[in-house]
Amino acid sequence: MTGPTTLPALRVRHLSVRYGARVALHDVDLQVHAGEFLALTGPNGSGKTTLIRAALGFLPATEGAVEVFGRSVEELTVHERARQMAWVPQEEGLRDQVPLRDYVLYGRYPHHGRMDGESDADRRLADRILTDVGLGDRASDGVLSLSGGERQRAVLGRALAQETPILLLDEPTAHLDIGHQLDLLGRVRTLSRTRGVTVVAALHDLNLAARFADRIVVLSHGRRVADGPPAEVLSEDLLVRVWGIAADLGRDRRTGLPFLVPHQLVQASRRDPSSPFMGPVHIVGGGGSAEAFLRALTEEGFGLSAGALHLLDSDAEVAEALSIPSAIEAPFAPLGAEARERHRALLGAARAIVVCPFAVGPSNLSNLLDVLPFVDRAPTFLMSAPPIRERDFCGGEAEKAYRALSDAGATEVMDLGGLLGALRAVFPSSPSATQDGPRTTAERG
Amino acid sequence: MDGQPSPPAPPVRAGRRWIVALLLGLVGFTAVIGSSLLGTVAIPVRTGVEILLHQMSGGALFPAPCAGTGVSVAHCGALTFIVWNLYLPEVLLALIVGAALGISGGALQGVFRNPLADPFLLGISSGGTLGAAILYVYRIQEAHADLFLPLFAFVGATATGLLILAVARGRYSSVETLLLTGVAISNLLSALLSLVLLYNPVGGEQVTFWLLGSLGSADWEVDGIAFGIVLALGTVLALYGRELNLLQLGSDVAQSAGVDAPRVRLVVILLASLTTAVAVAFTGIIGFVGLVSPHIVRRVAGTDYRVVLPGSAAVGAIFLLTARDVSYLAFPSSLLPIGIFTAFAGVPFFLYLLLRQRRGTTMGTT
Repeated sequence: MTGPTTLPALRVRHLSVRYGARVALHDVDLQVHAGEFLALTGPNGSGKTTLIRAALGFLPATEGAVEVFGRSVEELTVHERARQMAWVPQEEGLRDQVPLRDYVLYGRYPHHGRMDGESDADRRLADRILTDVGLGDRASDGVLSLSGGERQRAVLGRALAQETPILLLDEPTAHLDIGHQLDLLGRVRTLSRTRGVTVVAALHDLNLAARFADRIVVLSHGRRVADGPPAEVLSEDLLVRVWGIAADLGRDRRTGLPFLVPHQLVQASRRDPSSPFMGPVHIVGGGGSAEAFLRALTEEGFGLSAGALHLLDSDAEVAEALSIPSAIEAPFAPLGAEARERHRALLGAARAIVVCPFAVGPSNLSNLLDVLPFVDRAPTFLMSAPPIRERDFCGGEAEKAYRALSDAGATEVMDLGGLLGALRAVFPSSPSATQDGPRTTAERG
Repeated sequence: MDGQPSPPAPPVRAGRRWIVALLLGLVGFTAVIGSSLLGTVAIPVRTGVEILLHQMSGGALFPAPCAGTGVSVAHCGALTFIVWNLYLPEVLLALIVGAALGISGGALQGVFRNPLADPFLLGISSGGTLGAAILYVYRIQEAHADLFLPLFAFVGATATGLLILAVARGRYSSVETLLLTGVAISNLLSALLSLVLLYNPVGGEQVTFWLLGSLGSADWEVDGIAFGIVLALGTVLALYGRELNLLQLGSDVAQSAGVDAPRVRLVVILLASLTTAVAVAFTGIIGFVGLVSPHIVRRVAGTDYRVVLPGSAAVGAIFLLTARDVSYLAFPSSLLPIGIFTAFAGVPFFLYLLLRQRRGTTMGTT
């Protein structure tokens, strides 16, 4: 992306938006090229809608600016903006039974002077647009007689009548069923391709974003945390980190596009914006050694993951009961490649690691060894009572592993109370310190 | 696909449109003539018609209007004065003020996205009255009262309009907020008005006349001033139809489509207050015309504000003229304030709208 010769359709420069004390967007930098279909995604409250509204000039930038074809939005008049950007909201408050064609013609407003009426050319355009959005035969019906899916297509038609080079959509499919979601975004995709319209769509459905967008930008807590083609951006790590969900990522055999099947919420309180997310904290356990920690830390509000546990082990049962995502191996088998890979994924996503006082034998020695590469990435705590010497059933290997972990920077902790204190220091309760902060962003960038 | 399909507008050919316009003009003219025969003094129909046509044609028609009916010349002169200088101006003022209130109501309903907005219910009329009362009671510019009256009424009405905009900021499409704001402001203004009147009983009867609304001040000069201002303001207001159409989709959508929503809201409220002020200055508070008229237009002609605004002016004019005629037909010899009659028609309608709102029916779709 060095020295593009053409002006980007939309350029977001170090944009910050604050509502009073709340930071909705923080230093977001972004370019959208002409003709591109960009999906803005991120959890609820991540700043997608704020970014779209700031681009439309509805919200003043606290810092930074949004430029449309090189001109700052704040310099443009409302009229000029409406000739550059059209907006499809999540739901439009239609309350009058306006005939559909008239409704679409409302979109011609920015092209008319005060005394102008609608011309025949305007009416022909409206009819062509209605055909494009699949409502060609409904032109004289009132908008209130349309179904939900049709209504959203009508809103798209009204926006298209503005004939703008840029189209901004804010969760346009939020209230639609899956069929109408695919239909609407498919039409937008086609229009973008055939007419070169630049599209920025806030979409919280990642599968839809991956399917239709050329590029995905992920926002989290008002910051841009990922940016790139869907296949590059979507990762299990990102899903845990940003959405707090464990999910399987696959690749659609027909389209070659990534798709995801979410299967567990890492932490329910992730959804509650008033309490900052403390986690994920990864618990390495086995043989019942982790039970008490899993329960106590969940009660204290920490978001947990666990591994690598054997099925039927009481640790695994507790983890399942508490809906804690875990790496699980078949009963009594040595930890296999698949379980270990998942274990490492969870370790990679963790922001703190706790190694429980389990008995170490040849079948689960890898649990200690797998932690080693992550010690310098997340604070790691070794539960040291009873001492490892008494729990080593593989001839000193476990003791050696403990020493290696300790040398790498892991902290030895004696009991649950000590652990809670240490973890609270990792996740201080001020929200700004617990966000996906600059550290993580810098790593991604 | 729930809901019934709206009937497509029947194509009206240009020729037919002219015929309709001509017929409406004829009906309107007949209504004006007929209404001008109604008043506190009974006018013989034939004599009255002849006098009116004689005067309108500048003497070309019926050169001697009373001749064939056995009315004496002196009596004929008196009748001519009554019909031509009292009744006809009153009829015309009813049309002008009705149109002003109708279009103000239509514009306010559009700008607040609220079917219960009305210059009277919102207190804009009361604000105008307070302004006018201050002028009268304190005898400011007595010599040029005709010119200063609209100005004072305008200041009062506009200040009220802006106050509502400020108080209900962002929540004016909620029926409750808007009505409660209107009630609060109306009460405040009534209190202020009472205060002014209590300390200055001189001029009080003039003010009472305002509170109930009356066409009694009509004469050709008043009609001329009122017509000029209402025509000018109404024309400008009617040009905001497209902006109001887009505002119905919400401020943000309107903004995204190029409507400078805050500016349009301010301009339309100012224009509507100004138009209301003209009505208030000459006839006092006449309620419910602005509430009822736009609803009738929407019911008949759809929700396009390019039609609703001029349509509300037309329906408002008809409504107020009808109220005047009914008042004289029902109580032939007494001069009852016309506001009483618009309230008789308007209050049940208002309650009906309110009940329909509470049942959650969408407005403007019927």
